[in-house]
Amino acid sequence: MKSFILKRAGASLITVFAVICLNFLIFRLAPGDPVKMMFTDPRVTAEQMQEVREKFGLDKPLGGQFISYVQRLAHGDLGISFWQKKPVTRVLAEKIPQTLILVITALGMAVILGVILGALAGWKTGTRLDTFIVSASLAMYSIPSFALGLILLLVFAYTLTIFPLSGMSTPASGLTGFGYLKDVAWHMVLPAFSIVMWYIGEFVVLTRSSMTDVLGQEYITSARAKGVKESGILWRHALRNALLPVVTMTGVNLGFAVAGVIEAETVFSWPGIGLLTYEAVMKRDYPLLQGIFLLFAVSVILANFVVDIIYGYIDPRIRVGE
Amino acid sequence: MVTTPKKKTFLKHFMVLLFAVLFFLQCAPATWGKAGVKTGGRLDVGFTQEESLESLTCGESWQYLEMGCVFWPLVYDQLWIMGPAPEYEAKPMLAKSWETEDHQTWTFHLQEDARFHDGEPVTAEDVKFSLVNLRKADPAWAYEDTNTKSITVIDEHTIQLTLKAKHGGKYPPAYWMPVIPKHVWGPHQENMLSYDNAQAIGSGKFKLKEFKPGQYLWLQKNKEYWGQNAYVDDVVFRCYGSQDAVNMALKKGEIDMVGYLGIPAISAEDFKGVKDIKFISAPGISMDWLTFNLHQDNAIQDLKVRKAIMHGIDKERLKNMVFFGYARKADSFIYPELSSHNPNLPQYNYDPEKAVNLLESAGYKDTDGNDLRNDPKSGEDLVFDFLVPSAWPDEIKCARLMKEQLREIGIKLNLKITDLSTYYGFYYEPTSDDFDISIATEEPGPHADWVWQFCRCDPDLEMGWNGAYYCNPKFDTYLDKMAEATDMDKRKEYLSEMQKLVAEDLPYGFLIRPDLICPVRTDKFEGYVKTMGGVSTWINPWSYFKVHLK
Amino acid sequence: MKDFVKLLFSHGMGRMGIFIITLFLFASLFAPYLHTIDPHKSSSFENMLSPPSTQFWLGTDDLGRDIWSQIIYGSRISLTIGFVAAIVSVVFGTFVGLLGGFYGGIVDDVLSKIVDFFMMLPELPLMIILAAVLGPTIWNIIFVVSVVNWPTTARIVRSQVLSLKERPFIEASRSIGASDSFLMFKEILPNVVPLMFAQSVLMITLAIYAETILSFLGLGDPSLISWGQMLHFAFESGVMARSLWWVMPPIFAICSLIVSFTFLGTAITDVTNPGYKEARGL
Repeated sequence: MKSFILKRAGASLITVFAVICLNFLIFRLAPGDPVKMMFTDPRVTAEQMQEVREKFGLDKPLGGQFISYVQRLAHGDLGISFWQKKPVTRVLAEKIPQTLILVITALGMAVILGVILGALAGWKTGTRLDTFIVSASLAMYSIPSFALGLILLLVFAYTLTIFPLSGMSTPASGLTGFGYLKDVAWHMVLPAFSIVMWYIGEFVVLTRSSMTDVLGQEYITSARAKGVKESGILWRHALRNALLPVVTMTGVNLGFAVAGVIEAETVFSWPGIGLLTYEAVMKRDYPLLQGIFLLFAVSVILANFVVDIIYGYIDPRIRVGE
Repeated sequence: MVTTPKKKTFLKHFMVLLFAVLFFLQCAPATWGKAGVKTGGRLDVGFTQEESLESLTCGESWQYLEMGCVFWPLVYDQLWIMGPAPEYEAKPMLAKSWETEDHQTWTFHLQEDARFHDGEPVTAEDVKFSLVNLRKADPAWAYEDTNTKSITVIDEHTIQLTLKAKHGGKYPPAYWMPVIPKHVWGPHQENMLSYDNAQAIGSGKFKLKEFKPGQYLWLQKNKEYWGQNAYVDDVVFRCYGSQDAVNMALKKGEIDMVGYLGIPAISAEDFKGVKDIKFISAPGISMDWLTFNLHQDNAIQDLKVRKAIMHGIDKERLKNMVFFGYARKADSFIYPELSSHNPNLPQYNYDPEKAVNLLESAGYKDTDGNDLRNDPKSGEDLVFDFLVPSAWPDEIKCARLMKEQLREIGIKLNLKITDLSTYYGFYYEPTSDDFDISIATEEPGPHADWVWQFCRCDPDLEMGWNGAYYCNPKFDTYLDKMAEATDMDKRKEYLSEMQKLVAEDLPYGFLIRPDLICPVRTDKFEGYVKTMGGVSTWINPWSYFKVHLK
Repeated sequence: MKDFVKLLFSHGMGRMGIFIITLFLFASLFAPYLHTIDPHKSSSFENMLSPPSTQFWLGTDDLGRDIWSQIIYGSRISLTIGFVAAIVSVVFGTFVGLLGGFYGGIVDDVLSKIVDFFMMLPELPLMIILAAVLGPTIWNIIFVVSVVNWPTTARIVRSQVLSLKERPFIEASRSIGASDSFLMFKEILPNVVPLMFAQSVLMITLAIYAETILSFLGLGDPSLISWGQMLHFAFESGVMARSLWWVMPPIFAICSLIVSFTFLGTAITDVTNPGYKEARGL
């Protein structure tokens, strides 16, 4: 097991390094002088620019620049945001908690709902209910979450004014403790819903197919023969075994989840990494974009690593395969 | 009760003292305070996400970001502040008075009892620290009128500035400069921009209560303020995801006013005749113009082509289609209502026939039958790269309309829509020939000597302001004379000449001055102050100072 | 082939998908004859932001431009980007998959590692930074979408090739001295084509989605009017809430086109599944 983990960790580290290289190279393609872009004001003097250039090692040739980039990265220095004028690391740190709250809530709800609906569909394969669940979830899955989000925003926030217009809490409310949590939850309803509807399809389809597999297995047939109640078979025997691939997918799909977050946060101006991405794009804040991409990529790689390890524990065949 | 003589004199003295105090209060810089105004309440102000502050560092965002340049004048005092419309006079703030003899050496006398929010007194050292270090920290603070030879602290409350050049005009130097506390910033002197300034200690009428980047900024009245204080207890800048959300918030009563740019003209009708909402519109502070890149070696060089373009643009249509009629004429960097405006400038009215004649007579004819005129010199089609930033929706609309209109006179515009940083990168570097014509907009304000730097000959782009790459030595002579002129009439004369030269040479072609539409809620508050640019801009913190409960 | 189409039509989702896609294809081909005007052309002051009428079937936007025309012409953009990006990414992915699967060994190892690496990257952020850095033109968007989507095809084609390689007919050709390229392109490739077809439909979905979201985020080609850009401008206009005729049509168009391609894709997968015919008794 140990060697398996080490091997996996090594592979993940190599991937991270490749991401760093890619990240470095992509942003060399960016138009314009990165130093000049740090100042809006044209009165910036040559000395001021030279100072910045030296500070970020931009006066060196490409190879030297890369080395200094990696060195600074090793010290947790992702550069200074053009737009916010503060270290990218700090900008990201400020926004991560908000995004985590949203993602965890939405993902959790999507898993629960998706598994229930998927199990139902798998259980009733071939019926009308099955067809309806599958086609509806396929449709939801293909509708971009920003489109659904816009509709929700227009209907429930702008027209019916039931839900807040934007943001994650009432500004300067002075609320603390439970009252604050309630306020945040209230603000989260629409953005979370728009993400849930998007994720749910994935889990429905997955659970359904895994369910049909499991239902064909011998132990189900024997359980039936023993006279176990149908509902008991569904919940206790079939679903439990069908869940394994679903759990792994939750981790693997984090890269996919990222898209939903960017879209929902932009539409509902939820102050997290997703909205930050949109604003960084609008302001062409390259250091910040670079940091965001690194953050997203590394968290996806990390999630995959963790899932691999868990899977290795559960299913020893994987380890042998290695 | 019998009053003894002793008591009587006491009463007399007391009365005299009382009157003296009342009189003094009337004469103090704060004559605008009316007795009996209701204090308290919380003023909520809406900003869009894009306009909102993400940090309180003292750099560009205090200059160029909407929330930034409204935030700092509330929290930090300045030496003097520009008064409200229509006089726009220099009013004492931290400096209770100032004097100069030669307009080069200026002495400011500071308020003795001014204190920062942390209780430390405001001294001449703090002023000197701010003047020296802010401009070093960020080019955005490098104004001409704080370009000093020396700054002398004469005593704790007196400071003397010796400028590098004479500073004429009706305003003293050191305009629009926050005074920041030396005891807070001193340790970060070498790297001011990396100090996060989380406490935002200033000496202004408001102090920071809570700041959540991108969500809200909560200010509270500084109860210990040395002078006439504001009336409201709290001011909250709230951030919204889109302009729609800001509009809805105003209608719902979540906010009392819009933070900076007001509402888009297209939604103006939504706020007319609405209960508890007062519809305010003001002449704009910003102006839109075309910048012709005179570095380009093509037909743009030809004054006749530039004139034809100006005559080919239907400004009335821009006004109606883009600004819903809420806009005014602009023909100079100086607003027409200011006395220094030259009323006799050449005008470029919409006249496609004249435009066509100009082009025809200069030999620009369609020689290859593609409906586009050709340059007689190079034979090429009259196609120009037209630069617009994607962040300015109104200007994009203007550009699309101008593209249609100029097509009518045989000129094609290639819209180059870029993000804002790329735009500025291209715009301020005309020598790299990334554009032929660009749309540009600025907020000169009533004290706008600085905008003339846009026209100063600058072949090596040292100043960097001259996007048109315009160079006319005659203009520069007038500009130098104007900057140093202490005689107001002379100054006005030079300014007139400068305006005329720009209008004749057409490095910049003025298009329009959009109005600011800033509806405010009146169910709780009254006393909003309107200047050019509306109720809340970088030149107008007065609404925050004067708004009070009904 | 005829059989295949018949099968598709027997599939409910397939029928619906084909029907809607045909509608959009028709609209984009015959755009000029469908009561449209130049979607870039602004109209008079009175017609700004006007609700649907007989003159403007879906109303106008904030420059008085006809929404109906924008939707119809916008379908050209979506379909073009969808088809071109799908072809580019599928062809490239197939090529990589063929090479890796056929040669095996170190070539396969290296290519597989590259594919794995690209599949690991979060798609939307990668597209966003590429589009931001390269600049907003339609060709860059196609490039960006292809860069992100080719690895899936490569991986699927590779595993298919691996199993095909072991088949007797390949062995037979090899024994009579057929060259590698002959084997790859003349013998194996034709057997991968059905897979490429199914994969293309999926890629079209992804490409249309990608163009839409990039445009909505303000990274669209400014010289074109696409559905995503219509939403971007509406979202930024400040009058979105009271001009639903401006927002709803693009949302509806985007959703129905993407959903119909997804349905078609599902139908193709189902139909090519060997068990399908039996279950239907065909």
